[in-house]
Amino acid sequence: MTHHIGRRSMLRGGLVAAAALATGPALLAGCGSDADPTPSTPSGPPRRGGTLRAALVGVGAAETLSYFHGGTNLDFVRARAMHAALGNLDPTAPDGVRYEVLEGIDVSADLRSYTLRIRPGLTFSDGSPLTARDVLYSLITPNDDPRALGVYKTPGRNFDLAKAEVKDVRTLVLPTLAPIADGRLLLCQGNYLVLREGSRFEQNAPTSGPFRLTTFEPGQGTALVRNDEFALPGLDGAYLDGLELRNIPDSDARASALTNGQVDFAGDLAPITARTLDGDDRVVVTRSESPYVSGLFFRLDMTRKPFDDPRVRTAFKLAADRQAMLDTVLHGRGVIGNDLLSPGFPGYADGIEQRPFDPDGARALLAEAGARNLEVTLTTGPETPGMVEVATLYVENLKQIGVRATLRELPAGQLFADFPAYVKLPFAASFSVPVPPMPLYQVSYGGQNPSALGWNRPDVDALVTKARSTADPAEANRAAVAAQQAMWTDGNTIAPVFKPFVTATVPTLRGVREDLFEQFPGFSRASLR
Amino acid sequence: MTWGRFLLLRLAAAVAALAVVSVLVFAATAVLPGDAVGVLSGADTTAAQRATLRADLGLDRPAHERYLDWAGSLLRGDLGTALVGGRPVSDLLADRLPNSVLIAVLSLLLVAPLSVVCGLVAGMHPRAAADRAISTATLCGVALPEFVVASLLVTVLATWLGVLPRVSLVPLGGTPLDTPEILVLPVLSTVAVGLAAATRLIRTAAAQVATAPFVEAARLRGVTGPRLALRHVLPNAIGPAVQSLALVTAALVGGTVVVETIFSYPGIGYELQQAVANRDVPVVQGLTVVLAGIALVVLLLADVVARLVDPRQGRHP
Repeated sequence: MTHHIGRRSMLRGGLVAAAALATGPALLAGCGSDADPTPSTPSGPPRRGGTLRAALVGVGAAETLSYFHGGTNLDFVRARAMHAALGNLDPTAPDGVRYEVLEGIDVSADLRSYTLRIRPGLTFSDGSPLTARDVLYSLITPNDDPRALGVYKTPGRNFDLAKAEVKDVRTLVLPTLAPIADGRLLLCQGNYLVLREGSRFEQNAPTSGPFRLTTFEPGQGTALVRNDEFALPGLDGAYLDGLELRNIPDSDARASALTNGQVDFAGDLAPITARTLDGDDRVVVTRSESPYVSGLFFRLDMTRKPFDDPRVRTAFKLAADRQAMLDTVLHGRGVIGNDLLSPGFPGYADGIEQRPFDPDGARALLAEAGARNLEVTLTTGPETPGMVEVATLYVENLKQIGVRATLRELPAGQLFADFPAYVKLPFAASFSVPVPPMPLYQVSYGGQNPSALGWNRPDVDALVTKARSTADPAEANRAAVAAQQAMWTDGNTIAPVFKPFVTATVPTLRGVREDLFEQFPGFSRASLR
Repeated sequence: MTWGRFLLLRLAAAVAALAVVSVLVFAATAVLPGDAVGVLSGADTTAAQRATLRADLGLDRPAHERYLDWAGSLLRGDLGTALVGGRPVSDLLADRLPNSVLIAVLSLLLVAPLSVVCGLVAGMHPRAAADRAISTATLCGVALPEFVVASLLVTVLATWLGVLPRVSLVPLGGTPLDTPEILVLPVLSTVAVGLAAATRLIRTAAAQVATAPFVEAARLRGVTGPRLALRHVLPNAIGPAVQSLALVTAALVGGTVVVETIFSYPGIGYELQQAVANRDVPVVQGLTVVLAGIALVVLLLADVVARLVDPRQGRHP
């Protein structure tokens, strides 16, 4: 998620579609993603010093230091710079995660208890020790905040935080609300950051991350300097002396600021912007790859006619010309969707046949369902680059199968601004962020979640619960595939394409990917050579 | 009409206009889809919690009661608090308004003399080559949307020539004046549009005055060129000129959303746009009313100035 305003609203709403849990796992975005060939990337050991200037998408003067409330790219990048994470998802690591503040997580045999071990010797920027109590405080705080983004409440939905036990300064025991096998992945998504117990989001509050704040100007930017107290195994503090995060909402403007020499890093670029930068020797363009891609999708309200008829839903899925969307909107740089979210993640049902572009089949299904002269309005908005363009093509696809489809494009930031109104739309666009499929289902589909627009399948909910609570990976995978098969067959989501997260940087910048994600890039390992 | 009566009437009209604006602003924000509850609550908020929040915020009360509360707070100088971020609207205004005013002042410093000169040159000799050139250029300027003008300037001065920054990044902890080069493109963009509009208005006024008998008489006495324009035409055309410049000024102080957005310039117009997108009703209401008030003050001052510089106005019954 990205892009300005809408993202804020979307996250606040728990992320309409994919995202609720999302922000966090979205942090995965860069995790393991493969870059384009970048021959100009410097080699050799990182050099210390320098100030990196990064352009990101933020909001205006309403911006605050509380990342619990802010859902923009800039909000979370700043939070990551200031506060250390429990860990980040890393498919190459033994537990599937790379621990940061945590040394490790021990899971009880019955999957009902998680013991978090904190690394020794960690301190906040004022020299005070980072303890288990700080970790617990950081997990509990958003639960008591009605305005906190839904993603930050995910631990509270899976662990009984009220019964958490601080065994000693470095040991925290979290009982689960129900047996879960994927608790490590849940806690180490990169978005659970450590605040000092009792601290507020104030400019002078001590921080645990690689940088500490020096200047914060809402809507304009943030200046940070290296936190000399920050250290992790193999990383003795950040390489950069300073970090300047600037709010430049427009994608083209961010790219221009980069080529003009005003910034060194431009995040979250639109596909068309990235295309204009390809081949420019002054910059290095990086695109994430599956699974770290964002779905551009549409959802039908299953409680309304004619979308309560599975034949109509299937017809709408068959009508999507996915290849044309990929080629036209994403310039061929993305992933074809199969109406399921989270492609490429472990647990994704990639064995399910790819749904074809079949307008004839779609017309036949509509006729069989008696849905003649169907009139629909697809509501969308420029909440993330490519969203409106894909919707525009899809409306044309629907016209080809005889549906009198129109596009209703809302101004930027409007689509999710009034979440209760959004979930009442009969046919709406949305976008997802990269999250493993089962945790995502739990947050955005399960239990008649309003953002699922009428999806109400207790049997699938049960399959997902089983997939998440089964220690045997094979059995868990079978349950996950069965759940996704049901969603593919009966679901109300048309997910035709997934777009990469695109950044562009000066050629001398390195080490951003090593922080394990690019959607909300971290700079603890970044250096300017 | 005496000065006292003149001022009294103008002030009364301004106050009435502001009252009407406040009602319109309140009504407009009231009919926006969704309300503060939608902004403040998340997806997992229950209907009962929303109802409680709505009651807590007083949104379940009749509209006229809410309006009177809001207007009363305005009169006490309380512009409210932003729903998103929780900042007082007056703080936000204090942060951003000076930046927009700076752009407005710099633009006006260019627009005022240039529009007067161009307007006089064109108006003094209607249908002459200079008039045709100026009228055509200003027509293009008026017709071109701001974003087109700004984009052209960016393309030429920032992208092709690379002599100016593409984005107006104000130094953190500083002001736009610390890096004056960031002001050039926004100012040029607003000048291009404002200059065209003001020049056309002044040209029309000058053309009317230029055909007046007393101007013809001056010509017959051998007065020509700049002396005729400055001594005889300008003083009599300055009333409309002041009014047209006042309109341009009021629009500029209100912030130009397009220009501020294109250049990422932290002004009031951009904040207003953000507030609308965020459904941040107190910010929208507060900023709009204050900007309307500023526009009314500017127009009031323009009336006074126009009367001062044009003695004929004082003789009207």
